[in-house]
Amino acid sequence: MRKHAIAVDLGYGDAGKGGIVDWLCTPGSHPAAGGPVHTVVRFNGGAQAAHNVVTPGGRHHTFAQFGSGTLSAPGTRTFLSRFMLVDPLALVGEAEHLADLGVADPLALVAIDRDALLTTPYHQAANRAREAARGAARHGSCGMGIGETAAYALAHPDDAPRAGDCQTPGVLTRKLTLLRDRMAVDSMAVGGAVGSSAVGSSAAGDPMPPAQDVTDAYRVIAGRVTITGEGHLARLLRRPGRVVFEGAQGVLLDEWRGFHPYTTWSTTTFGNAEALLAEAGMPGEALRLGVTRAYMTRHGPGPFVTEDPTLELPEPHNQPGRWQGLVRRGHLDAVALRYAIEACGGVDAIALTHLDTAAAHAGQLKVCRGYRVGQQGLTDKLVPGPARDLDYQQRLTGMLLAARPVYGDAVNQADWPDVVAGFAGAPVAVRSHGPSSVRKTASSRAWRGEPRPDIAVQT
Amino acid sequence: MGSGIWSTSVYDAAKKLRGGASAFGYSDSGARTVHPDLDPLGIATRESRDSDEHPASLAVAVLFDVTGSMGGVPRILQTKLPQLLGLLMRKGYVRDPQIMFGAIGDATCDSAPLQVGQFESDNRMDGDLERIVLEGGGGGQKRESYELALYFMARHTATDCFEVRGKRGYLFIIGDEMAYDRVKPREVAAVIGDKLAEPVPLQAIAAEVTRRWDTYYILPEGASYVGDDEVLSFWRKLLGQNVIELADLDAVSETIALTIGLGEDTVDLDTGLADLADVGSDAAPVVSKALAAISDRGSLVAGDAPDAGGDLGRPSGNARL
Repeated sequence: MRKHAIAVDLGYGDAGKGGIVDWLCTPGSHPAAGGPVHTVVRFNGGAQAAHNVVTPGGRHHTFAQFGSGTLSAPGTRTFLSRFMLVDPLALVGEAEHLADLGVADPLALVAIDRDALLTTPYHQAANRAREAARGAARHGSCGMGIGETAAYALAHPDDAPRAGDCQTPGVLTRKLTLLRDRMAVDSMAVGGAVGSSAVGSSAAGDPMPPAQDVTDAYRVIAGRVTITGEGHLARLLRRPGRVVFEGAQGVLLDEWRGFHPYTTWSTTTFGNAEALLAEAGMPGEALRLGVTRAYMTRHGPGPFVTEDPTLELPEPHNQPGRWQGLVRRGHLDAVALRYAIEACGGVDAIALTHLDTAAAHAGQLKVCRGYRVGQQGLTDKLVPGPARDLDYQQRLTGMLLAARPVYGDAVNQADWPDVVAGFAGAPVAVRSHGPSSVRKTASSRAWRGEPRPDIAVQT
Repeated sequence: MGSGIWSTSVYDAAKKLRGGASAFGYSDSGARTVHPDLDPLGIATRESRDSDEHPASLAVAVLFDVTGSMGGVPRILQTKLPQLLGLLMRKGYVRDPQIMFGAIGDATCDSAPLQVGQFESDNRMDGDLERIVLEGGGGGQKRESYELALYFMARHTATDCFEVRGKRGYLFIIGDEMAYDRVKPREVAAVIGDKLAEPVPLQAIAAEVTRRWDTYYILPEGASYVGDDEVLSFWRKLLGQNVIELADLDAVSETIALTIGLGEDTVDLDTGLADLADVGSDAAPVVSKALAAISDRGSLVAGDAPDAGGDLGRPSGNARL
């Protein structure tokens, strides 16, 4: 059995990765050998992640950039890999809350790859201006500037601020100044307002603070974390104990495999984690764990074939985001789940979550076995298209927006794991009946299952 | 997914980390004594060691005078010196630098006559920098306890660059006054904890330190004794041409980085100045002027040779000459 693990959400996010990572990091909670988890590696997305963890003692934290194992065992570290979009300011806010929960010097637990892109207040101001200009046609963005950060880096790779720049303030200030100017121009072009950028006010609420002020703040933050580089992960993986790779968002939101254009700017499959493992000389050396609820949710607009507004399922930790719209609820979609598994290159095992809610709504929750589109026959499979073919993905989106779900019978409470394992084609290794790690149980046999021999790294 | 609930403004984030004060966190909190992490008392050695991560470590120590004569200089140094690591690494001047920051006061009258951080390979060294207490004292006799710092560097540091590879580390002392003429047993006992049978003459401790450390003195603009001939000739006697007059304090990290690059022979002055522009620094003219003497070792004439004996007569670039 491989001691390291990768947890990836097979839906639209919110499946409960935080709880699963917390459980993986809680000593003695599960059958994985190899010693305690010393580090959680983040490999996609940024500060928009919201992974909720509730400890058995009732402490609650919404993990955004810190690894969701931070509360599981004292000293569990976080490594933000080069695939992360790091928001230093949000990191401080998050550290402050973790400190309130009793974590000693949380920022000292964080290492950041110097190539990781920085998400700045300028990206956020532009993001919000753009979404406001879109009005009803908004894309479900979090307002955190994630898309702007990725887009800016694609357009201006050498000018995009990166974590390593915090060590050379002259460079950082130059890049931030350029970024601030460009974002102000872009935002005006889409007709959005970017606040007081024109006058450059330095009031605390200024969405476009002067570049020098941002540099100063980032320098202080960089002095409290470790900025590291090449080889860091290889050393982590060879240390005694285990490493958990914590995915953000979900495969159905993947920039290439999701339902374009209702996607995110990030690779949400196992791809980045597998790439990091390969670079570290340990390709395929982690268990691929796909996380799904026994039903589905989605934030914001986009295809959701099994959406059912009559379902009254509680979402205590998912309040509607100002920039994202309401949380939508629906039944488990076996077609979409199988598509996600295939599109991300397969899973070794499934973590099935929210079984407590499913039990409380027994008789209401169903599984969608296929779609009907127009007068056509039953569609029970979505075929992943060629790599990086957004036209294909957009056609999928069009089909899904027109599709009507065809449900099987209501699922009996005890049957959920078998039902899901059946259509997923992988064992259910973890069942979650509640937020805290003590509410999760492992199926030892499934957990120890031999690794799949045919894992392909997705790009 | 989520909504970025931890968003914090630039101003709040800095305030939270600084406890509401400026970058000189420890000092500004009202502390007047040496932070425990920087206290040299009872320290056997500050070590710069090789590791898997840093197989060819090169020790770099930067100690600056924090007494009153330095005016606002130490506070500026505190904000500028964190750039040093990045400057050394970005252009490959040094593969595995390990940097230590420290501060020098006056053992005859100050409560923090010597503060020494750890050698670090990442920005943990910035934490040491923030914990340095700004003395602001000093005696007013144009002398501070530089000799005590030299003593510590000579006898309480251990570096793999020297012990394993026979390469000297780099020691930079930033100040504007002269050292006392000998290391006094009473002060060494009080500050470092060693028992010395008799005083060590300044020349002897300088010879000892320069055997293992390529040692430079930087006299910055903005200090009381800038351009002071007595101070400059004092240090030239002790360190030869390794005395740098720096016209713009903002260029301190660039100056140190390029001095090391020249010493390591990984860059020449023209390329180094071009590199500065490349990394977004406009310090090139200042650095060029400051380093004119150092970059031109060939012009060293016999009369300039220092009289401290030992290794001191040798031009101090590690790989040069």
